[in-house]
Amino acid sequence: MVKRIWFYSGITPLSLITQGALAAGDSSGGLPQLDITTWPSQLFWLVVTFVIGYILISSLVAPSISSVLENRSTKISDDLETAKKAQDNAKEVYTSYEKSLSEARSQAAIAAAKAIEEAKAETASRDAAINKKLATSAKKAEARLSEMRDEALSSLEDLATETSQKIIAELTPVKVTKAVVKKYVAAHAKLQS
Amino acid sequence: MHSPVEQFTIKALYALSLFGYDISFTNSSLFMVFAVLLSSGLLFFAMRPASIIPGRLQCIAEMMYEFVANILDSNVGKEGKPYFPFVFTLFLFILFSNLLGLIPYSYTVTSQIIVTFAMAFTIFIGVTLIGLFKHGLHFFSFFVPPGASKPLIPLLVLIEVISYLIRPVSLSVRLFANMLAGHTMLKVFAGLAVMMSGAGGIMVAGSALPLIAIIGLTGLELLVALLQAYVFTILTCMYLNDALHLH
Repeated sequence: MVKRIWFYSGITPLSLITQGALAAGDSSGGLPQLDITTWPSQLFWLVVTFVIGYILISSLVAPSISSVLENRSTKISDDLETAKKAQDNAKEVYTSYEKSLSEARSQAAIAAAKAIEEAKAETASRDAAINKKLATSAKKAEARLSEMRDEALSSLEDLATETSQKIIAELTPVKVTKAVVKKYVAAHAKLQS
Repeated sequence: MHSPVEQFTIKALYALSLFGYDISFTNSSLFMVFAVLLSSGLLFFAMRPASIIPGRLQCIAEMMYEFVANILDSNVGKEGKPYFPFVFTLFLFILFSNLLGLIPYSYTVTSQIIVTFAMAFTIFIGVTLIGLFKHGLHFFSFFVPPGASKPLIPLLVLIEVISYLIRPVSLSVRLFANMLAGHTMLKVFAGLAVMMSGAGGIMVAGSALPLIAIIGLTGLELLVALLQAYVFTILTCMYLNDALHLH
């Protein structure tokens, strides 16, 4: 590293020019740099100005710059922390939201299933009631129908008996009683059916 | 015709003496004052107000600060922190001296070997004392390269001691010679331009060439001014690191 800086500082090629300058200086009484009578003054003022510069920089300049840099880095890290906290918070809110959402979903599913079940039960009971009603009315109707048929049948038998008696009376001189005709009609009807 | 090195002449502006020594306020002293006031003043006002979001000037001040802080941190580490104000002052003093010297008719403080040597020697003594205080006599193990074979040790210690003692010389001569050579070269080309334009004929048109060369060289010197301030600072940090951590 040191060697490389030595190289970059360009002292080797420049030393040739320096030698030229030294030679040029010789013709007019040497390099002013080598006039040692000026050295005490230069040293004195170097010390004075450098010390003043050191005091100014170490007491005024460096602390203000370093405090600003420090403030900035703390501000940035604080802001990052706040942002991280906010992010964590948002994540938490999101998870709780997700959780409540899934809870609500499952509750809704349960409620829906229950509602469906209830509706089914109600439908079934209503169906049963209607069926029962229908069955009773059907039975009633059937009973009435058979009654009516029996009635009709019995009246038909009476009609047939009467008609047959009348037909016999008109066509033949034979007098038959109603009871005999009725007996024949009934036997015939039985044969027919 | 002036000599190219006449620009380095010290001229007293206000005669002063202390214990028989001539400590006159000179053109060199004036530019030392300028360098210090300009560097600390610029940084001071750049940080007024010191805001979290920096303006342009504050950015420059912070960049300079962080530049030097990074050099110190990467070369020395945490233990280098107490020396930061010194290293920062050193960097700014050399940087502003070099840059101010590039202004025509100004004076280049760092082109004086006594100035650069005084800084380098102070650093050398300071760094050696830091090493001695921190490590005591163990500090001298610095001159024994680790893993060296026994018969070679005396020779290696000699080489190490010489290279250690040569540090202030190399550090100061590097800065001084760069400044001297650069500014002499600028004046040589300027003198050439004046001579050619005075010669008449086709030479007058040709005098544009050294002028163009001066433009290029001024750019180069700007780079050298920055680079030498950086090199001086980084070497100071390396020497400090050697004193604090030995190998």
